[in-house]
Amino acid sequence: MSSSILIARNLSKVVPSAEGELTILHDLCLELSPGDSLAIVGSSGSGKSTLLGLLAGLDLPSGGGVSLAGHDLAGLDEDQRARVRAEHVGFVFQSFQLLDSLNALENVMLPLELEGRSDARERAGALLERVGLGLRLSHYPRQLSGGEQQRVAIARAFVAEPDVLFADEPTGNLDSHTGERISDLLFELNRERGATLVLVTHDERLAHRCQRLIRLEGGHLVDHVEP
Amino acid sequence: MTRLPLARLLSLATRQLLRDARAGELRVLFFALLVAVSASTAIGYFSSRLNDGMLLRASEFLGADLLLSGSSPATAQQIGSGEQLGLDHARLVEFSSVIAGDAGIQLVSVKAADSAYPLRGQLRSAATPYAAEQPGPGPRPGEAWAEVRLFAALELQVGDSIEIGSKTLRLSRVLTYLPDEAGDFYSLTPHVLMHLDDLPATGVVQPGSRVRYRELWRGPPEALAAYRQAVGPSLAANQRFEGARDSNRQIGSALGRAERYLNLASLAAVLLAGVAVALSAARFATRRFDASALLRCLGLSRRQALSLFGLQLAILGGGASLAGALLGWLGQYALFFLLRGLLPAEIPPGDLGPALAGIATGLVALAGFALPPLAALGRVPPLRVLRRDLLPLPASSWLVYGAALLALGVIMWRLSLDLQLTFALLGGGLLAALLLGGLLLFGLRGLRRLLARAGLPWRLGLGQLLRHPLAAAGQSLAFGLILLAMGLIALLRGELLDTWQQQLPEQAPNHFALNILPAEKDAFAASLAHLSAHPAPLYPVVPGRLVMINGEPVRQLVSKETQGERAIRRDLSLTWAADLPKDNQLSAGSWWTPARAGELPGVSVESELAESLQLKLGDRLSFSVGGLNREARVSSLRDVDWNNFQPNFYMIFEPGTLQDLPVTYLTSFYLPAQQERQLVELSRAFPAVTLLPVEALLAQLRSILAQVTLAIEYVLLFVLAAGLAVLFAGLQATLDERIRQGALLRALGAERSLLLRARRTEFALLGAASGLLAAIGCELISFLLYRFAFELSWQPHPWLLALPLIGALLIGGAGILGTRRALNVSPLTVLREG
Repeated sequence: MSSSILIARNLSKVVPSAEGELTILHDLCLELSPGDSLAIVGSSGSGKSTLLGLLAGLDLPSGGGVSLAGHDLAGLDEDQRARVRAEHVGFVFQSFQLLDSLNALENVMLPLELEGRSDARERAGALLERVGLGLRLSHYPRQLSGGEQQRVAIARAFVAEPDVLFADEPTGNLDSHTGERISDLLFELNRERGATLVLVTHDERLAHRCQRLIRLEGGHLVDHVEP
Repeated sequence: MTRLPLARLLSLATRQLLRDARAGELRVLFFALLVAVSASTAIGYFSSRLNDGMLLRASEFLGADLLLSGSSPATAQQIGSGEQLGLDHARLVEFSSVIAGDAGIQLVSVKAADSAYPLRGQLRSAATPYAAEQPGPGPRPGEAWAEVRLFAALELQVGDSIEIGSKTLRLSRVLTYLPDEAGDFYSLTPHVLMHLDDLPATGVVQPGSRVRYRELWRGPPEALAAYRQAVGPSLAANQRFEGARDSNRQIGSALGRAERYLNLASLAAVLLAGVAVALSAARFATRRFDASALLRCLGLSRRQALSLFGLQLAILGGGASLAGALLGWLGQYALFFLLRGLLPAEIPPGDLGPALAGIATGLVALAGFALPPLAALGRVPPLRVLRRDLLPLPASSWLVYGAALLALGVIMWRLSLDLQLTFALLGGGLLAALLLGGLLLFGLRGLRRLLARAGLPWRLGLGQLLRHPLAAAGQSLAFGLILLAMGLIALLRGELLDTWQQQLPEQAPNHFALNILPAEKDAFAASLAHLSAHPAPLYPVVPGRLVMINGEPVRQLVSKETQGERAIRRDLSLTWAADLPKDNQLSAGSWWTPARAGELPGVSVESELAESLQLKLGDRLSFSVGGLNREARVSSLRDVDWNNFQPNFYMIFEPGTLQDLPVTYLTSFYLPAQQERQLVELSRAFPAVTLLPVEALLAQLRSILAQVTLAIEYVLLFVLAAGLAVLFAGLQATLDERIRQGALLRALGAERSLLLRARRTEFALLGAASGLLAAIGCELISFLLYRFAFELSWQPHPWLLALPLIGALLIGGAGILGTRRALNVSPLTVLREG
């Protein structure tokens, strides 16, 4: 068994469009070991989010394959991929994506409950405490500021101790000061928990906090930096 | 962009609408309106055409569509204005006469009719007594037809001559059926039919002689209504109009109820339409917050932004309403085609009315239900382009609900033209909504505490409900309304049919026997016992006329065209009885108490007549009976079931009051159709007795009821289909949020089964709550309806408790089906949204 936690082999994605087939990703390869951090940068429409979606098993590639925590995603159906995500993956989104109907604590409990863990409440509470929201457990997303909502989202992403954390523009909706604090928190927790971080961003400063950086342009990998 | 011409706005609105329609965004609203308008148009057409068909049948009992009757002939102007309106006309003059024969003399009711009589229904006659009857035109001048009892009483033969006044006529046939006498159980004398041309020669019609003139009219309803309106003011005190509806109590009440029921079904469809439009218009508005903010940002004024969206809705509403009306019109044709074997052959085609009403219904519902959410679009702050979380200030809830209620009220009133029904439904619905909405809100809040420790599917499923309890209560009420409308229609259907069935059991009396002489009473009862299993008792009858109330002549006391006026115009059948007859109920006073010396004997008066004559307990009534005067005091009032085909009486005297007067007896009985022969024998054995078959009337009533039943069943299907369509429209309104939630949960690793469980929990609970609301609302409204609109006695309906279960299954199933897109959504959506 390989020591890599995430492997993409000759990954490509083609979608139908009015003008015929449109290739969004061309023949992309990469490999990440546990604890690595990777930033994916590129202009809008360069294929960043598509790549993230394929790596996380949210979508299937048109060619090539992804292996996540030892699972070949191409061979799995949607429910099986969901199980893999529940066990190995955490997410942070640009627009936070909290469930409005659940309060902060319940939002953080969600991944643990999906795994069927019985200590969900305690662990979620502790992690919210850790991200500085110990007094906001019963608040609903609408009652929280953008920065607070993203903290909840980060706590939710880490609570199940995922092997891989996917973050899609995690500071995109925040002011620079709040964004700074959120990225500090993200990298701090990542270090503490030893997760592999895959981060899509426009923010070069944030990107350069990662160990590795790839740049996409028109679906092609144009730059691969390993500091 | 300070001024934007309307044409530009219109083109912008159209373009946006087309773009959105292509993207599938406005389909829900369009569909909701389409369903609403087509359902109400189809029901409108179906019920109005069916009603016309049924009225046509009912008008047979009048021999015409409209009757102008009076004790003086109609004026030339009254006749002329009917002819000008293109109405068909026939004339009938009725009077009593005495015919002498070798065997004695006999009082007869003579009808002198012109060749056009009857305008509805057919005359039937036989070549000889008891021979097979045939339909056909009436007697020619110089001829007369008489009922078999006249042949029996005077020992006449076909071909004999009789004298009516100074005119000799030849008896050419036996009269077996006069359409306009079929429902008259109380005509005591045999009928003779002669031609109107012979009337002057009889010399019977002299100034002061008691003659009834009847002008019969036939034509389209509008022309008849115009005639009523034109001639109404010129009616003399002794003249009055009679339409098919008021010609016969039984048919009138069956038709009235059927009409109310069908109207109610339309109302239910409109209610559903309103809910659908409200739900989808709210979604329309919410999804345009961004666009509105952007347009405002680009310089469009609030009014222009509102006009732009308003125009989009108006174009959409107009299109959907037109298409819906067309669909509804086609739908009712399909319905009539399906029912062609069961419905009368002659069904008038119906006019544009129901289609226009359907379109108006759609537009008013759109205005009432869609304008409040649309108004919110005008209040979207332009700053929303920068801060998406900024929402428009909510409208005053008075405005929102007031507009909707007003729209509903207007439509309901327009459909039913019945304020009582409208208020019962609207008031009951509002009361139920407030009460139940409050209860639900309270319940949901309580549920939140319970739910903290519940499993994930429960929390996911109910989270949405609990997060916005007001919205959840609203949604539950909306679904509740659908179930309520369907439950109410089903409930009333069963109840109305049961009531009718009870009134017209298989063996309802189909013959009346009149003029049974005291000497023959026991022999007749014995013969009858052989023939019929359950004959009604024999009631003594003394014909008498009410002449004074508390010493004042009765003619001065009653107004024209009332039941009271009709009752005092002719002899009433007075009777006496020791016991209160079956199917009669005392509404005031008491049954006989021993009369003290010097006190007037008691009389029990039918309550509707008492109301019409403004009689109170203790009033002194004077009757003219066989030239003598008799007085009695009102000792009780009775409710009488006139639909039961049993002998019923306006006045029942205390026993011992009328015994000294010449009396005959009256009864009713059931005889199967195949025993007609025995009837002939009975008639021969008791020639003086009048046997009056009412089988034709019964058959007519039964066939009307069968049609109504069918109509009701099909209309119920319409309402059900509309309800389900609306349910889906409602689910669509919450689809956006569900898709986002589904995608996120999938991304976080939730399996499809978890989402399914959560949805099931949510919708089943929502459905159960809606069902509970519907059950309570149904009882409340049915109580009001029964009490005030249908005049039926109300009893609780335990089966309504099944509604929560039905709601859970129906809304649970429809919910899963309607939101399956949210279950199957790709988790990638969350990235695209971000």
